[in-house]
Amino acid sequence: MWIYLLLGAGLFMGWSLGTNDAANAFGTAVATRVVKYRTAIIIIATMVVLGAILQGADDISKLSSIATNNEVAADVADMEKLGYVFEKDADGNYVMRNHKGEIVTKDGEYVIINKDAVEGIDKAGLKDLKIKSAVKAAIIFIAAAATVFVMSYLKFPVSANQAVTGAIIGWGLFYADYSNPEVMSTNLKEIGKFMSTWFINPVGAALIAFVIVYFFKKFFESKVLSLKGYDKVVKIGYIVAGAYSAYTIGINSSASVTAFYYDSFGVGANVLTSASLTAIIGGVAIAVGVLTYSKKVMMTVGGSIANITQIDGFLVILASALSITLMKELMGIPVSTSQAVVGAVVGAGLVSGVKNVNFGVFKRIAIAWVSSPTVAGLITYLVALATQSYFG
Amino acid sequence: MFNKNSANKVHSLIVEHMQAVEECLIKFEGFMDAATTPETVPATLRTLSAGVGAAEDVADKALRRMIDSLGGGTFLASTKEDIIAISTMCDKVANKCETIAKVIVCQKIKLPDEYAKDLTNIIATTRKQFDVLEESIGQFFEKFGALLQDHKILDEIRALESEVDAVEVKLYDDIFALDMDLAHQMQLSNVVELIADISDVIENIADKIQIMLISRKV
Repeated sequence: MWIYLLLGAGLFMGWSLGTNDAANAFGTAVATRVVKYRTAIIIIATMVVLGAILQGADDISKLSSIATNNEVAADVADMEKLGYVFEKDADGNYVMRNHKGEIVTKDGEYVIINKDAVEGIDKAGLKDLKIKSAVKAAIIFIAAAATVFVMSYLKFPVSANQAVTGAIIGWGLFYADYSNPEVMSTNLKEIGKFMSTWFINPVGAALIAFVIVYFFKKFFESKVLSLKGYDKVVKIGYIVAGAYSAYTIGINSSASVTAFYYDSFGVGANVLTSASLTAIIGGVAIAVGVLTYSKKVMMTVGGSIANITQIDGFLVILASALSITLMKELMGIPVSTSQAVVGAVVGAGLVSGVKNVNFGVFKRIAIAWVSSPTVAGLITYLVALATQSYFG
Repeated sequence: MFNKNSANKVHSLIVEHMQAVEECLIKFEGFMDAATTPETVPATLRTLSAGVGAAEDVADKALRRMIDSLGGGTFLASTKEDIIAISTMCDKVANKCETIAKVIVCQKIKLPDEYAKDLTNIIATTRKQFDVLEESIGQFFEKFGALLQDHKILDEIRALESEVDAVEVKLYDDIFALDMDLAHQMQLSNVVELIADISDVIENIADKIQIMLISRKV
């Protein structure tokens, strides 16, 4: 049963993510005191869990498959030990056959097969694989969570998703077959895609925020009849945009937290076998992080990047949530909500002129974006080096 | 979440407080008329000063009622703070009226009648300033979007303050040109300064309203 304790690393990751990503949904609302901190964290926690329950499971298998080509290769070797046969088809993709000769996976996307249908599995090997999978996941999450925790403590709104991905890449790069051009090509493609989100995601959010704020200013502002009406628009706007943003955190991030405990082979080779339960556990871990330690980053995101007004605040949240949805569709991987919010805050600030943006703070945050996955990746690379004899 | 009746109640209590402050200002105007009239006996001045004090007390109570009414969730926390700040600043107008009346009565200051016209002018301009302020606060509550786009009305308040400033300076020149002892000159200039301060307070309220508008602009 001690193997389940390793799940604690993923839960710590979720907690760290909650302490940081909560700022994305209600940072500006809390900083401008439109929504009380307590109200904000209750809404976020609820919507994050709801997002995880309703749509979080969608990303579980997908995220498992972006553990880079090296991870797939490592899993292939493990599965071969269990009696599976791997063949390359005409396109160079892997085809996995079980002991009955049935194809169970193709193109790196593993098909979940019924555990009971698998016969003749080496039970001792399976147990060993299960432990190794959980330990590996724990190492990746501890490295990422520790990085995010330090960044949160330093009040940097870093991306937990990016820290996890950085940690996976660090691990994968250690085990990469550098002599194989195919593997290296896949590595470079994945890393390039990952790094491009550092730029595309915040810039996209900034553009969306700029357009929304500009049109709001031009066509809506003068239509507000009374002070009471203004307050109403602001409060409802914050709650709706914040809840939507929290929901996207639930969809986007719950998988990042626990996906690597999910047994994508369906043979009991990892701790969790239900995609829905995996996502929900991730969502709850994030919610606990939101409820316990999210205030510092919330105040940084909402209060010190740009001198934004109350209306700008909820438009920023709306813009970043829209950007996340759009980027996820375009990039196919969970992008950073923290980066989207920071980009949107800058975009909203730019509507009133460049002088309205505190580029000093922005520079510090941008450095944190790059450094958090890099540090997490470096940690896992070094741990992989130190534990090479165990993982083989 | 947003109670319309509660919002209307807050607005009506703000209006009530503003009217109480205006009433105090009117009583102060009457007091100053008497104070600049040589025939006025000290007892009359004391009675009029007490009237100003009573009006100030009414304004205080109206302010407290208004603040109590803000307890609900009608307005955002920052709006509540801004409303309290504006109303408290308005209340200072009444406080200043009461203080000036007390200073004149207790220090038995004789205001030379040749200054009556200028002093009356300052107070009349200040009254006019307060009327414009009342209108701008009304717009702030009821025509918020329009005021957000165009707040020239606040410039009117500032222009009137400049008029008061000009008369104030003229009075200082006149006072220190008089053949009287310095202590008496200082006492008179102090009274002029206190009276002109009311206009400054109203101008500060206009500035505060503008800051509130800017902080709410997209």
